[in-house]
Amino acid sequence: MYIIDCYSISPQKTFDESFFEGQVEGFVGNKYHAIEPSYADLIPRGLLRRMGKAVRIGIGAGLPLIEKQKDIDGIIIGTATGGLDDCIKFLNQIVEYDEGTLTPTNFVQSTPNAIGGHLAMMSKNTGYNNTHMGIGTAFESTLLDAFLLFEEGEASKLLIGNVEETSQHHYNIDAYAGYFKTEEISSTELFNSNSKGSICGEGAAMFVVSNKKENALCKLVDVHQFTYPKSENIEERVSQFLEKNNMSLQDIDSLVLGFSGDNRYDFWYTNLMNSFPKSTVYSYKNLVGEYPTSSGFATWLATKILTGKKTPNKAIYKDANRTPKNILIYNNYLGAQHGFILLKST
Amino acid sequence: MPKVFVTGMGVISAIGNNTAENLAHLRKGKTGIAKAKYVNSNYADTRPFAEVKLSTEELRSQLNLKTTKGLTRTDYIAFTALKEALESSQLAPEEVSSEQTAFISASTIGGMCMTDQLYKDANLISNGSEYVESYPGSTHILKIAKEYKLSGIVDAINTACSSSANAIMLGAKLIKSGRATRAIVGGTDSIGKFSINGFNALQILSDEHCAPFDENRKGLNLGEGAAYLVLESEEIVRDKKIFAEILGYGNSNDAFHPSALSEDAIGVVECISRALKSAKITPEEIDYINAHGTATGNNDITELTGINKVFNGFPPFNSTKSYTGHTLAASGAIEAVYSILSINNNELYPSLNCKNAINTYNQFPITKFAKKDIKTVLSNSFGFGGNCTSLIIREA
Amino acid sequence: MEAVALKAKLKTQIIQYLNLLDITPEDIKDDTPLFGEELGLDSIDSIELIVLLEREYGIKITNPTEGRKVLVDVEQMAAYILEHSENLK
Repeated sequence: MYIIDCYSISPQKTFDESFFEGQVEGFVGNKYHAIEPSYADLIPRGLLRRMGKAVRIGIGAGLPLIEKQKDIDGIIIGTATGGLDDCIKFLNQIVEYDEGTLTPTNFVQSTPNAIGGHLAMMSKNTGYNNTHMGIGTAFESTLLDAFLLFEEGEASKLLIGNVEETSQHHYNIDAYAGYFKTEEISSTELFNSNSKGSICGEGAAMFVVSNKKENALCKLVDVHQFTYPKSENIEERVSQFLEKNNMSLQDIDSLVLGFSGDNRYDFWYTNLMNSFPKSTVYSYKNLVGEYPTSSGFATWLATKILTGKKTPNKAIYKDANRTPKNILIYNNYLGAQHGFILLKST
Repeated sequence: MPKVFVTGMGVISAIGNNTAENLAHLRKGKTGIAKAKYVNSNYADTRPFAEVKLSTEELRSQLNLKTTKGLTRTDYIAFTALKEALESSQLAPEEVSSEQTAFISASTIGGMCMTDQLYKDANLISNGSEYVESYPGSTHILKIAKEYKLSGIVDAINTACSSSANAIMLGAKLIKSGRATRAIVGGTDSIGKFSINGFNALQILSDEHCAPFDENRKGLNLGEGAAYLVLESEEIVRDKKIFAEILGYGNSNDAFHPSALSEDAIGVVECISRALKSAKITPEEIDYINAHGTATGNNDITELTGINKVFNGFPPFNSTKSYTGHTLAASGAIEAVYSILSINNNELYPSLNCKNAINTYNQFPITKFAKKDIKTVLSNSFGFGGNCTSLIIREA
Repeated sequence: MEAVALKAKLKTQIIQYLNLLDITPEDIKDDTPLFGEELGLDSIDSIELIVLLEREYGIKITNPTEGRKVLVDVEQMAAYILEHSENLK
C-alpha cells in the first residue's frame, strides 16, 4: 500500500514544518508532552469541551487528513490505552463520591475506540472501523488490518494511525512498573544513560493509505510482528522478513530504530544495527519519548525522510551518507513485542 | 481462499463454567442473572448482576497457572474459557505456540475490575501493587501469551461491546489471507465498580432483570464471562471435529453519536448487509439471528429497525443477554458460541422476559424452546463509538 | 444567599462543570435557554447539571420530568435551589 498523506502531533512541533526547519525541542525530565495545534477551526466547541487528550490529538491529526479526501473507505486506529486519563478521572469520581451521582462523559470518552468513533462521527464515515489495542504492536496490527482490506478489495483508501496520551495518573502507574528512569535526564543524554527505564512520551500520527500509487509519498511494503521471541537472533528474523519481500540486508540503506535508552532492551537495536553496517540509522525516542505505539511516529518520520526532508541532526544516530530509498523500522516494547515495518521510496 | 472452520470453543458465563453447562441453561431457559454475590459496589443489592458463579479464588485454584502474579478476575475468566477451547480443539502445546497461530482477544474492563486498587496506584496512595501492569483492557493478552508461549501475531481489539466479534472477524481474515493457519479468538470481561458506575451514570443500568425487545425495557444488566474459539484453515484441520464455519462478517460505523445508535439504524443495516455480501448469501438463508439485544431503550428498537430494513420482516431472533447479562467485550464471542450450539443441536433457545413486544414492530423474540433445522446464523454486536459488527456462522 | 449572587455563582459553575470553552458568565443571561442554540447543550449535559445540583447544593433530582422543569435557564435553576437546598438554609 501507498502512503499519500500524513500528519503528526508529537512532543516536537511536527504539525507544521518547524521540525524540518531545524526547530528541535530538547527536554529535561521523564515526561515529553505533545505540542498541540489550535483546534478552533477543526473541532466544534461542543465536542472539543468533552474531549480528553487522546481523543483530541487523534482527531487533531486525523480529521484534517480526512477532510482533504472525499473517499475514505474506513478508519483504523492503534492505541494501547486510548483515553486512560478519562478512565482514571471517572474512577476518581467513583471513589471520591462513593459511587454517588456521577457524570458519564469521562466514561464514554475513556473507551479506546472513542478516537476512531469520533473520527467516523465527525466525518460521517460509515465504512470499516476498527481499533487495535495490542499494546506494543497495536500500530503494526493497524497496518496489517489495512493490508487485509486492500487485498480483499474491500477498500481503496483508508485513514490509519496511532494515538497515545500520557497523564500524571498514567505515569504514576507505569512508573511503579519500572518503565521510566528514576533519575532526571536530558533528551540529549538519553542514549548514554545506561540505566533501567525510558522516558514517557505521547503523540498521534495519522496516514492516508491507498492501494494506488498516484500521489504517493512512499510505499509501505510490509509489516511483521512477533511476541516473546524464543531466540534473540534478530538478524535471522529480519533476513526472513526481507527475503519474503525479495530484498536482502544490503538493500536497506536506512534504519529507523526504537532506541529508548533502557539498558534492559536497547541491545535488540544494537544487534539489529550490526547486521546493517553500511546503513544510516535514525532514532526518535530522544525526540518524542517512549510509548507503546511509537512506531507510528517512526513511520511518519520515515515517510518524511523518503520524500526528501532533511532530518535534524538529533534524529540521526549514525550517519552513513546514504540516499534513503529503502527504510526498515524496527521497534520493540519492553522486549516483549516486536515489529518490523518496511518502506520504499516511489 | 481457504474456508475457516471452528475446531474448538470454550465459554464461561453466568450460566455455566463450560460449554455443556451453558447449553443446559439455554435449553431450560434458566437465567444467570441474580442478586450479586461477589460484586463489590454500593449497587450490589439494588441492581441484579450476571456473575460467573465462582469466586476469584475458586477460578484461580482450578487453573494451575505457572504464575498468578498480577492476575485479576478478568484474566482468570479468560484463562478458564481459553483452556476449554484449546482442549476441545485438541491442540498440542507446540501448535498453540507456533508462529502460525494468531491470538486476538478483547476486553474493555481488563484489570479495572480492581477499581479501588487502581485508584490507589494511580493516585500514589499505594506502594505500587502487583496489578500495576494489569489495568488496561489489553494487558491480558501478554499474560496469556506468556503462559502459552505464544509467538505469532498477538493482538487485542477494542470496539467497545462489539470487540470480540471483531476479534473473530480478524482471525478469520488472517487465515483466509494465509498470514496465519490458526487463530485463537475471543474476549473476556468481568464486573467492576468502573463499568457499574459508567452504565449507571448513563442511566441504562436496569434495576430489574433485563427484558430485551420488551416495550417497557429498562436497560441492561451487567454480566461477566469469556469465550474463545479456535479457528483453523481448512488446509490444516484434517479429520478433526468441526463445529461450524465462519462464513462471513461485516463491520461498519453508525457515525452518529458517541453512545447511541441512529434512529435509521445506518450502521446496523450496513454491517448486516456487508456480512451477507461477504458470506455470498441472501437474507432468506439466515435461519436465526442472535441479536445484540442489550435491552436499552435505544439499542433494541434500532436493531429491529435495521433487521426490518435488511430482511423485510423478521427471522426468529433472541437475545441471550437475558441469560448472561451484557458481558461487554466478551459478548460477541459468547454469542458466537451460542449460535454454534443452535446450529449443532438444531435448537432455538427462548429469549427471556419479553412480555410486551415493542409497539412499532410488534415482534416477539423467540419465546419458547424449539427444535428447528438451523444451518446459518447471523450474530450482531454493536458498541459505543458507533462500532457495529455482524458475523455469519454456518453449519460445516 | 440572595438570588443575584446565587445566579452569578451558578453561571460560573455551569461553565466549569460543562467545560464550556470561550463562554464567560456574562454570555449567559438569566433567561438564556440552557438547551437552546446559544449554549448548545445536550442530554449528557443535563446529567452533568444534575450532578452539579447534587454536589454543590445537596439537591437530588431522580425524576427526569422534574429535571426538565428545573433545567430551563439560570433563573429557574436558582429559584429551585433557593426553594430546596439544604446547604443554603
